[in-house]
Amino acid sequence: MNTARAGTLRQDPAPPQVAQEDPWAAAAPLVRTAQSGDAMALNDLLSLLTPYVSRLCRPIALNNSADAVQEALIAVFQGLPRLQDPRALYAWVRTITVREAVRVARRAERETPVCEFDDIAWPRSPELAVDVRDVLRRMSTEHRAVLVLRELEGLDERSASEILNISSGTMKSRLHRARHSFRKAWPR
Amino acid sequence: MNSNWPTAELDPVRRLRVLAGGLHAVMYADAHLDLPFTEVWAVAGDLEHELPHLVPTLRAFRCYPTSEDRQLAWAYGPLGHRARFDVLLQTGWCLMQSRYVVGGMAAVSEGSGTRFAVLGGLRQPWSTPFQRALRPLGRSRGLMMVDRAARRALVRRDRGPAEAHGDR
Repeated sequence: MNTARAGTLRQDPAPPQVAQEDPWAAAAPLVRTAQSGDAMALNDLLSLLTPYVSRLCRPIALNNSADAVQEALIAVFQGLPRLQDPRALYAWVRTITVREAVRVARRAERETPVCEFDDIAWPRSPELAVDVRDVLRRMSTEHRAVLVLRELEGLDERSASEILNISSGTMKSRLHRARHSFRKAWPR
Repeated sequence: MNSNWPTAELDPVRRLRVLAGGLHAVMYADAHLDLPFTEVWAVAGDLEHELPHLVPTLRAFRCYPTSEDRQLAWAYGPLGHRARFDVLLQTGWCLMQSRYVVGGMAAVSEGSGTRFAVLGGLRQPWSTPFQRALRPLGRSRGLMMVDRAARRALVRRDRGPAEAHGDR
């Protein structure tokens, strides 16, 4: 009897192949639980989202990326009850994160002279570190955001322009200038 | 020049700040304590002995570990009522929730001291406007809790943990 009872009480975890194939799809039940105010589910969701949000924020917000990650995640979590379809989590988080990263970076630019970007910490390869730092610091926040969405996230122009709240024409010209700046600044 | 990418990971205090925002928690506060991390977390992590010192409305808090970092706990109020809590306890990070209430603590080394944060709130969605309105009061309550944690750390330093447990 004990064995049968233990069998009925045991809760089987989600099939592992689902998590391996698409962690965002596996996050859907977690989102539903978190929307009901479950702090443990929010904590698990935070662990799932933080690496992706960090990856988006770093190249846009540079040395203010920790602030950008925090602000983006607060915005995501405060808006979570309004997310109708948990399967849209990925795109929804990306939109909020990029907007927040741009906002934090612009705010920092107003407060920090460009020369202080020398304090940024960089990757382990010294030559690459110097190159990437130099290229990024010569670009505006808007150009960095465009490159992240188009080159790192692989979005089409329309999707990227919607996230940044700009027209398709502005998106095209901004992308052209960003690519031009990058090529021009990248050491050969 | 530093040899790492710009740090974008959330430290435990920033993490608790995010959760406070997401939960619309009525109480959130963090402050720098001029105490080493180990002494601060020795207080915060000793839930059974120290939480009743930090939360005045708590008479006792009994913990029953269920896995490496998870615990089931019973909180007892001054009038004998009790509530069941699920607890996640890791170094520098503690999250607790009952059916109606959520609480949390976080700590991270900051210079020669520690930044310590506390969170408290209600879980019901209807309470959001109510919690938002009371947030200034919640912040002052939170800072008082942070101050109590600092004082408990000093008591444990002076008298040792075992003797300090008998204060209440």
